[in-house]
Amino acid sequence: MNAWLTTHIQACERALRRLRAQPLGSLLSVLVIGIAITLPLGLYTLFANVAAVASRVNTDPNINVYLALNASDVEVRELEKRLRQLANISRVQFVSRESALADMKRVANLADLLAGLESNPLPHAFTLRPSSADPALLATLRSEIAALPKVEHVVMDFAWAQKLKRFATFAERLVLLLGIILAATVVFVTGNTIRLQMLTQKDEIEVSQLIGATRRFIRRPFLYFGALQGLLAGGVAVAAVSAVTLWAGNEVQALMVSYGSDYALNSPSPALALVVIALSTLLGWSGSFISVSMYLRRPAN
Amino acid sequence: MIAFSNTVKRYPSGFEALKGVTIEIATGEMVAVSGHSGAGKSTLLRLAAGIERASQGSVMVNGQNVGQLKEAGLAVLRRNLGLVFQDHKLLFDRNAYENVALPLAIAAFPRAEVGKRVRAALDKVGLLNRERSNPVALSGGEQQRLCIARAIVNRPSILIADEPTGNLDQDYAATILDLFKSFNQVGVTVLLSTHDDAGITRLNCRRVTLDQGRLAP
Repeated sequence: MNAWLTTHIQACERALRRLRAQPLGSLLSVLVIGIAITLPLGLYTLFANVAAVASRVNTDPNINVYLALNASDVEVRELEKRLRQLANISRVQFVSRESALADMKRVANLADLLAGLESNPLPHAFTLRPSSADPALLATLRSEIAALPKVEHVVMDFAWAQKLKRFATFAERLVLLLGIILAATVVFVTGNTIRLQMLTQKDEIEVSQLIGATRRFIRRPFLYFGALQGLLAGGVAVAAVSAVTLWAGNEVQALMVSYGSDYALNSPSPALALVVIALSTLLGWSGSFISVSMYLRRPAN
Repeated sequence: MIAFSNTVKRYPSGFEALKGVTIEIATGEMVAVSGHSGAGKSTLLRLAAGIERASQGSVMVNGQNVGQLKEAGLAVLRRNLGLVFQDHKLLFDRNAYENVALPLAIAAFPRAEVGKRVRAALDKVGLLNRERSNPVALSGGEQQRLCIARAIVNRPSILIADEPTGNLDQDYAATILDLFKSFNQVGVTVLLSTHDDAGITRLNCRRVTLDQGRLAP
């Protein structure tokens, strides 16, 4: 156990020494890997924010039925009765023209403008919740409802929300795909850095093998080196994305307020940051492992 | 003990460096392998160190068949051997102390023990005052002594030296050979190759002569 720990400490020290011995080269490698990780992390953060905004939007299908302005209370009640009898409707909610006007005054800050009106221009309306989101069924429902007496307009305004939801799903997959491609890039960049390291230290490797070093012993400092590069690059990526979200945060918040939302842009959470750093460390280690194994697999001296 | 039994070494090109060599070297014995260039001296030593594998026959070192050892077993074997190379194989990005400490780092010795052993080895070859020097700053003879210090730092039971005096003038060569003699006197088995007849006479040890891959009568 003691010997095992000693070899690991020594390998780690050698890796740190190599990192310090080539500060510029190491810095460039860390930055290249860091940028490669920043791209998927940045996109993930962006799409996570978009998804968070989308989750606040009601994406359940609703059908708004606007009645003619001259519809009487009796006609409204008759229409409500017929709407409730329709198949595939799970909920019917009546919105009176008075409450619609009150809502409009409250939400849109148009109290002054609306106060100047002689009469309420808004019609009575019904908000219906279909029991299915099947497009064909909804199209039939729409036709049926539009044919009912005193119905002026039938609006199904959830299509955009569904599109937003689909976009969020697509974005998730895009981030995943990009993440995989850039993870391969990280492995490649680390592997190449390590390969160059091994070429510059081929004498040491040869001598070490001649005097009794196992492949594991030779591999170890390079693995620590790759892992260290990955660790630092992960830190660079998290720092870069956090800095950008902080920098853009105020502007985004101001924009969201203008849309009546209090949503604030989220930076990568500490848990996500830890996952990213752990993952990039693992990728750096993997790149080194592949590179060193390929180098050591060549015919022995 | 080192035993070559009907050992053949054939390279992929078809060239046979050794053609059925049988030699036994007893524990604590010193053997000098002589012969012209291309006689197979270095190949014989490389087989004993497990750097190359025999094509036919066997090479036994300390009771182990070197040809059948896997990577880990070979590494353990080499840690128990002291190898001295004609071209020294020193690391020029490390100082003398660090070069000698390398086998101990591989064997995971504790730092305090490394310090003691490295200084003792450097003292033995007369380089204690040069421990912080880079090998580039050392003369050819000093580099060879440094290589010997690295070979003995693990206190091996067998020393294998390929032309250890090949690039040295006579005075330095004599110093190096005396070092090997002193190691042999404390029980270390020494197998070295040389084409220096005067050196072999100085060593006063068994001589094995190779001629075109065969033992000369």
